[in-house]
Amino acid sequence: MPGPILEAKAITKLYPGVTALRDVSIALEPGQVHALCGENGAGKSTLIKVLGGVLPHTTYTGQLLLDGRPVQFESIRDAEAGGIAVIHQELALVDEMTVAENVFLGNEPVRFGFVQHERMYTEAQKVLERFKLEIDPTLRVRQLGMGQKQLVEIARALAKKARVLILDEPTSALSDKEIQSLLAIILDLRSHGVSSIYISHKLDEVFHLADRITVIRDGESVHSTLTRDTDTSSIVQHMVGRRVDELFPERRGTPGEVLLSVQGLSVAPRRGEPARLKDISFEVRGGQVLGIGGLMGAGRSELLMHLFGCYGERISGQVRFLGQPLPESDPAKLVRAGLVLVTEDRKRYGLCLEAMVGFNLSLSALRDLSANGFIDSERELKENRQLVESLSIKTASLEVAVGTLSGGNQQKVVLGRALMTGPKVVLLDEPTRGIDIGAKAEIYALVRELTERGLAVVLVSSELPELIGLADRILMLCEGQLGGAFDAGKVTQAELLSAAMNKTRAAVVAGENG
Amino acid sequence: MDKKIALRDSSLLIALVLIAIYFYTRDPRFLSSRNLTQLGIELSATAVLSLGMLLIILPGHIDLSVGSGVGLIGAVACVLIVNSDWSALPALLVTTLLSIAIYTVMGWIIMKERVPAFIITLGGLLVFKGIHWLVIASETVPVAPGNQQNLYSLLTTFYLPKFLGVALGVGCIAALGLAMLRGYKKRVARGFSSDGELAFLRWFIASQVIGLFVLVMNQYKGLPLAALLLGAVALAVHILLEQTRLGRYLYAVGGNEQAALVAGVPVNYVVICAFALMGMIVALAGFLQTAFAGATTTTTGQLMELDAIAACVIGGTSLKGGQGTVVGVLFGALIMAMLLNGMTLLAVSPEQKFIARGLVLALAVWMDVRLSQTRTT
Repeated sequence: MPGPILEAKAITKLYPGVTALRDVSIALEPGQVHALCGENGAGKSTLIKVLGGVLPHTTYTGQLLLDGRPVQFESIRDAEAGGIAVIHQELALVDEMTVAENVFLGNEPVRFGFVQHERMYTEAQKVLERFKLEIDPTLRVRQLGMGQKQLVEIARALAKKARVLILDEPTSALSDKEIQSLLAIILDLRSHGVSSIYISHKLDEVFHLADRITVIRDGESVHSTLTRDTDTSSIVQHMVGRRVDELFPERRGTPGEVLLSVQGLSVAPRRGEPARLKDISFEVRGGQVLGIGGLMGAGRSELLMHLFGCYGERISGQVRFLGQPLPESDPAKLVRAGLVLVTEDRKRYGLCLEAMVGFNLSLSALRDLSANGFIDSERELKENRQLVESLSIKTASLEVAVGTLSGGNQQKVVLGRALMTGPKVVLLDEPTRGIDIGAKAEIYALVRELTERGLAVVLVSSELPELIGLADRILMLCEGQLGGAFDAGKVTQAELLSAAMNKTRAAVVAGENG
Repeated sequence: MDKKIALRDSSLLIALVLIAIYFYTRDPRFLSSRNLTQLGIELSATAVLSLGMLLIILPGHIDLSVGSGVGLIGAVACVLIVNSDWSALPALLVTTLLSIAIYTVMGWIIMKERVPAFIITLGGLLVFKGIHWLVIASETVPVAPGNQQNLYSLLTTFYLPKFLGVALGVGCIAALGLAMLRGYKKRVARGFSSDGELAFLRWFIASQVIGLFVLVMNQYKGLPLAALLLGAVALAVHILLEQTRLGRYLYAVGGNEQAALVAGVPVNYVVICAFALMGMIVALAGFLQTAFAGATTTTTGQLMELDAIAACVIGGTSLKGGQGTVVGVLFGALIMAMLLNGMTLLAVSPEQKFIARGLVLALAVWMDVRLSQTRTT
């Protein structure tokens, strides 16, 4: 039996302050599909970057072996030359070009500097036919569905003679039918000798496809086994197997009035499109934290953005805030009424990065800080200073550009801006993403403090321990629907994860709990 | 970063001085009190319009229609006065309201219907020009019937009595000094770093410039009303941007529109307000520009939008929005006005004038790109 086609040995990758991978080894046998499982942030993406040459070999320690020989990838090009192609979550296709042009993008058959269009189309046709990808190479990519686009990416990799495909969550945006045909194609490729590394949250797909499963948790490879020797619950156990940290302060608040309630909410991205969020109901009381979990793309952020009037078109359902129906789309009014949102993407929705810290801090509360339209700079300064102190924001002064602060401190500025308005309900979307452990603990303490003051907090997080540690009640979303509702005191990570992953089982769970 | 900006500020001053020296050596009349008065009046229309443009560019938009708007609004006032026998004051007031209404509607379309400002105002450029020509039947219409004087013509022909000019100049210097001193004391009291010497130096230079300006103007006919109007608009816009909520919101929308929206900034309202203010400013610039020529013709206001944008960019306003100051824009407008005035004095052909102004604009934007690159890295 020949040795592995691609092998990574003892890979360790450090980011400033974080160990992304610690001593991870993985071996891909020829003609195998090898699944990588793990929670968000476990280190799967980093491992892919290592294998695909996105991270140059000098930035990590450990060894890569291709066909048993050591290799060093400087760039993606080197990895591609070795026959390794990564199909990313965000597709890298040019919408306005044809399928064939995309397949040969950067690699066009050329004679005397002129692109040979005839040859390009016939060769693209050949590649597509050989792997039974039913796509017309003359169509523009814009005209294709998501599933077909994924296939074009695969065809592009195959046209470059790839022997190893690395697929990162390829089915997250596909319909059921598209998923079925993609899985069939991956199995067919396997029979042609093309091996795959397959990353997915969806365990049913993993068990359908994979010959071997490796579980990564907190940057370490904790479990690797042949698929036939394991089952779903064992894999889930390994994925979540860490203890709940002692980062979380005790709950003390007592639930008060219902501040925010949502009944049968369905939302489409745009008018006339199919619903992205389907029939969601919940309520939050003062002094309570409602945790919302779910996998990437489950609709968590969309839910918060919609409540805040920044996303989508409401198809049905009712949202009541402090007993009153919530206007559908005017963030300015919502902030005044006492609802604030702290978004996940600080750079895009959070801060004016080039503006000063003070400018950003007081932006939401200017209405209270001004009289007849004129800003009371004395009071503004006082409030700003108070927040910098109470949130211990580390900044040289209020007058430095907020973009120069560290991630954790930027996040505190966004939080501070929201809190200065004196809100009643705070929507937090991944408040601890990408910040270090110390700042995380401070933000957890802050969330507690808010609930003790009688505020209601809606916390979206992809970290299950965070949900269990902070929330009083937890909703898991699954593909835009309620996957389950739990009391935080009694639930385990495994239960939450299966509610997020398995629609059918989750429906039963929701029925039992909700 | 501070050093870069300081370099940038002084580079404008240096450019200004170099241009002045160049024109002076070519023709000493350039620095005569008569020509400088002329320059002051010419500058007022462009600079007022540029300050309006600043309000539009700060939240990240653009207005290409203002040149045609200047022509149209100035012309409507002329026609009301000369053809319909209105007296000047109601004519000016009504056309100002008309202008505000037009620009508010444009702002509304841009924000509520999400049509890019570039397109809407490009349409405005053409439509206003057409209406302008219709209104005046493509003929020349004076600002006052016969050769009389009225409020309209006085806008650019009235000069402050000399003693009033001196009193105003002294008052300005004193007020500026007090304001800067108060600001400095406040900063110190609040524990911010501040450079007292630099502040004093700035005040010193500013008071020299004001004093010199009053003296030179008084050598000719006195302070022109147009320059005073410009001063008033500049002060108003400065206060708007520095001390009001609306001003703060303009910067926030330009800095990051999505973030401003989530932070509860009423983004649509803010931009529509900017366009409404632009309407008011277009009217004033239209009156000044038309009064300066004494009559409206088919070319009144032509290409002024480009001068206004150029003045903003030369003055350090970022076309992406979020950055820009009144002082910078005033410098930019002064550079553009000085170039035009100097070249007219030297009897440079119109062809060459266009080329020179275009090159200056391109050069300034190129410098802006270079400087902002070094600033961010």
